[in-house]
Amino acid sequence: MNPGDIITILIMSLMAMVPIVLTSVGAAWSERAGVVSIGYEGVLLMSAFFGAIFAELARNALVGLIGGIIVGLLLGMLHGVLTVYLKGDHVIPGIGINLLAMGVVPFGILAYWGTAGQHQLPHDAIMWHWRTPYGEISPMIIVTVVIAVVTWWVLFKTPLGLRVRACGENPEAADALGINVEKYRFWSTVYGHALAGLGGAYMSVDWLGLVHKTMSGGRGFIALANMVFSGWNPLISLIGGWLFGFFEALATWLAPKHIIPGQFILMLPYIMTLIIVAGIIGKARPPKWDGKPYKRE
Amino acid sequence: MMERVPIVEMKGIVKVYPDGTKALKGVDLVVYQGEILGLLGENGAGKTTLMKILFGMLQPTAGKIFVKGKEVRFKSPSDAIAHGIGMVHQHFTLVEVFDALHNIILGMEGHGLLSKIDVERARRKIERLMEELNFRVPLDVPVEELPVGVQQRVEILKMLYRDVEVLILDEPTAVLTPIEVRELFRVLRQLKARGKTIIFISHKLNEVMEITDRVTVIRKGKVVGTVRTSEATPQLLARMMVGRDVVLRIEKPPKEPGKPILRVEKLRVIGDRGEVAVKDLSFEVRAGEIFGIAGVEGNGQTELIEAISGLRKVEGGKVYLNEKDITGKGPKELYDMGMAHIPEDRTHMGLILDMTVTENSILGLHWRPKFQRFKGVINWARAREHAQHLIEQFDISAPGTEAPVKSLSGGNQQKLIVAREVSKEPVFIIAAQPTRGVDVASTEYIRNYLVKLRNEDKAVLLVSADLDEVVQLSDRMGVMYEGEFMGVVKPEEVTTEEIGMMMGGIRYEEIRK
Repeated sequence: MNPGDIITILIMSLMAMVPIVLTSVGAAWSERAGVVSIGYEGVLLMSAFFGAIFAELARNALVGLIGGIIVGLLLGMLHGVLTVYLKGDHVIPGIGINLLAMGVVPFGILAYWGTAGQHQLPHDAIMWHWRTPYGEISPMIIVTVVIAVVTWWVLFKTPLGLRVRACGENPEAADALGINVEKYRFWSTVYGHALAGLGGAYMSVDWLGLVHKTMSGGRGFIALANMVFSGWNPLISLIGGWLFGFFEALATWLAPKHIIPGQFILMLPYIMTLIIVAGIIGKARPPKWDGKPYKRE
Repeated sequence: MMERVPIVEMKGIVKVYPDGTKALKGVDLVVYQGEILGLLGENGAGKTTLMKILFGMLQPTAGKIFVKGKEVRFKSPSDAIAHGIGMVHQHFTLVEVFDALHNIILGMEGHGLLSKIDVERARRKIERLMEELNFRVPLDVPVEELPVGVQQRVEILKMLYRDVEVLILDEPTAVLTPIEVRELFRVLRQLKARGKTIIFISHKLNEVMEITDRVTVIRKGKVVGTVRTSEATPQLLARMMVGRDVVLRIEKPPKEPGKPILRVEKLRVIGDRGEVAVKDLSFEVRAGEIFGIAGVEGNGQTELIEAISGLRKVEGGKVYLNEKDITGKGPKELYDMGMAHIPEDRTHMGLILDMTVTENSILGLHWRPKFQRFKGVINWARAREHAQHLIEQFDISAPGTEAPVKSLSGGNQQKLIVAREVSKEPVFIIAAQPTRGVDVASTEYIRNYLVKLRNEDKAVLLVSADLDEVVQLSDRMGVMYEGEFMGVVKPEEVTTEEIGMMMGGIRYEEIRK
């Protein structure tokens, strides 16, 4: 491995971290407010698909990213209505969203583009990248870092964040002090899903430039694991997400060299992220009312 | 005195719950500016319901509320707070992981939602408030790490920070140690001296006698009467509250204890924070004896019970039940060997609140052949019979065997636990805080039942923060301080003062010198 390779891997890792970090940060915010969702996998996949359609129609990647956010927003609203206002279970809607995505996307690719399983986006629908000798760099990397830092700051330093956390820890206390728990929870859920939507669209219209029927590849779940091991902290999620990206990049770099069997290489990012993040953070405590509907007596 | 100005008036308050329960049947209440009004009644009398209505948590079915002569309608607690009415609940509504400062300012952080919270400004404001009221809480420690009494003061501060004039306290002493109660009363007098009005909900006669100016007694959703505290006696209040004369003393015939049932030898237990909570403690509980453990809470009593009942690891020493070594055995084995356990926290350890009376009544008994149709399948008909039997035998007032346990009042929940544990036909019973937060009538019943068990030659280990209870019931008592007994004495042979000294960490031998 020469220095050039190392820089290449680092750049690839930054590109790969974006969807994980965005989803982890969004999920952390949502769960801090007390709403659990396991539907991020489906959100990533669907917003990758619809984001690509938006981008192609407008011939503009930015529109694709916004389209992804809108898909996340709508799915977040669906989840929010079911869990926050109708006091439903927090896990079931996520299963629904994931299964929906597994059906909609492969069918949609075939129906819309007429190709089975995969579609390559035209150049004018893909985000501008800074091309370096060691690989391409997307402006979304900076956006992601900014979102993680700002989300952390708002969550821990502002009245808004204090109230959101109070809703996840003890909604009764928040309610008694005049905080509209349902409103805070609902919009937190929407925010969480919207970030995942941005992450999904990034995958298709920015990072890879293609839509594939399984392109989310478990990132929605890894993001949740990353969120837990990061102690529901957006800043640490950023590091955890980058670690995943790093090992994913390393795996991609290692694969053609045939040093280790390919299956093990593919496992690498998942296993290493879990081991390292879990090892550093250790036991984290979830928000006390995480995943529990709040209903006034 | 600033009396005779009604600050709050409630007129003809009726509350009917959706399930048809009539909790309040036309209640009138007058509260004057600057007084401490006691709201006395048994559990389930409707005191808390009435105050939740005043605090905007519940909507009255009928009736009017006036604050300073103006009719008001509260849709939520924040409405009530805006009108100067605050409430501190029996179960605190604090965000446990936040420090006191953030708990206090929550919802009133100042400035815009997205600007940085000005922590220093808030701190100065709270410091000034604490100085004015002459009591303090640490502001930077997560409140879950604070003792209960301090958490309560955080709750009070939270309300005062919002400039409330009327402070409702729901059973504020139920969770406090005697020392904390004294501190609370000092705080309440401070508040009164500064013109605040306090509504003090309680069922404890001596506390009401000590702290209040007037007492309104509620029974079964109706006001029985209001009296000036200076003109009342505990006997009078008890009669008003219960509707009959209450025997506040327990009849306990003398009895010669038999052989040791529980023997604890040099028991050493580690607490949650890694500290040695129980320090090489030895004692025995004999058949036909109530052995009481007194002491300020947090001196190793909880860890001791948990170690004996198989819920916590024993670090050193031995525990014997009927001369059999039971050290490190699990709860199920111990139940089989004749142990029963009335746990100190009924809502967390004693009952599963969302499950029915029937289901709760066979917890821990459910695997007995009696309740099994065949191996692994519960015979629910038997279980219901069992629950019905317990309800009748212990006079538990429950809507039915299939009602969720959370619909029972605290006293009846506690009776259900006692009934269930006794139905295990134990030889040895641990009774931890058996009457905490329980109304007078149920308290009397439970205490008498513990004596009855003793008279039937059972061994009873009583652990209670209520000193009167330990003194009244025990044949022998140990006073626990930092994991050790400061003395093991017969209650009738020591004075309250001496017990107090032992609770404070002075050994009995030293006192007697």
